Amino acid sequence: MSKSYRQWVKEYQDQAWTVARYILKDAGEAQDATQEAFVKLWHNRDNIDPERVQSWLMKVTRNGCLDRLRRRRDYVEFDESYMTAEVSGPMQDVAASETREWLKRAIGSLQEPYRSLVVLRDVNQHSYEEVATMLELNLAQVKTYLHRARKQLREQLAEVRP
Amino acid sequence: MNAHEDKWEELINSLMDGELSGPDADLLKAAAADDRQLARAIIEAHQLRQVMAAIRVERAPHSLRKGLLAIPRQHRPRPAFRLLQPRWAMALAAIPLTLIAVSLMQPDQPSASEIAKARQELAIAFACLDKAAAITGREIESNVGQTMADAVTNSVGRAIKSQNSDLKENKA
Repeated sequence: MSKSYRQWVKEYQDQAWTVARYILKDAGEAQDATQEAFVKLWHNRDNIDPERVQSWLMKVTRNGCLDRLRRRRDYVEFDESYMTAEVSGPMQDVAASETREWLKRAIGSLQEPYRSLVVLRDVNQHSYEEVATMLELNLAQVKTYLHRARKQLREQLAEVRP
Repeated sequence: MNAHEDKWEELINSLMDGELSGPDADLLKAAAADDRQLARAIIEAHQLRQVMAAIRVERAPHSLRKGLLAIPRQHRPRPAFRLLQPRWAMALAAIPLTLIAVSLMQPDQPSASEIAKARQELAIAFACLDKAAAITGREIESNVGQTMADAVTNSVGRAIKSQNSDLKENKA
């Protein structure tokens, strides 16, 4: 097995999985989409600039997820079963956990490309330049769209935490 | 918010990114002192940032990890033409060589028509030889005598019989 490929799996599997999970809101489909993205990475490993593998993989993962969304006939924008397997604990942890759950749902309810922008920038912590490359947007677009996405989230948060 | 909304939103975005500079933070504070909406937006941004900090990249399931590491094995490139594998290439190359060697070892086989023609020509030749031997015998008899004639004609006859038997063996 290619050492580079093994290293890429180690470094990027969680990020790709997170992107797929937030966009698709279905663990099974997210696994399939992530798997497909890595299959493409394996087949194209000799043609990709090693410095750009991360951006390439995130872009391919996201595009694959969006294709899946388009193919869904009965696509429901908001899946109530999304990420329900949280552990319970003390009351303060429950509150924090509920807030986290709320935010995940809120991010999941954003329209594209806002959802991907928030996941890539605020969850995966990619730089603006990396996000621009992954989404094939210019830097100004990334900042504007992210600003709008965050504003939506802020307003929603204000409603649940007055 | 007031007419400076875009500017404030940009600064709030910087706050969300954790990249708000000192002077910009002071500017925002000063503006928020007179603008309730801006103050509220700053508080909301701060709260969102805190909540955002609690969610991180999710760990991929173990089954996915295993699946990703198995991809190179499952998607191993297949040879375009398996017969081009070294051992098969050698075996294929041996076939024409064997055929050539066998054909070189085989004697030339005349066709059926050639054999028939040869038999016919051989029969004519034997008839001529018989005739020649008879004439030669008669001439010797007349010139040298019966004894000498027998010696010559018998010798010629044996030679013809010998060739005839060789031909039959070849035919067999």
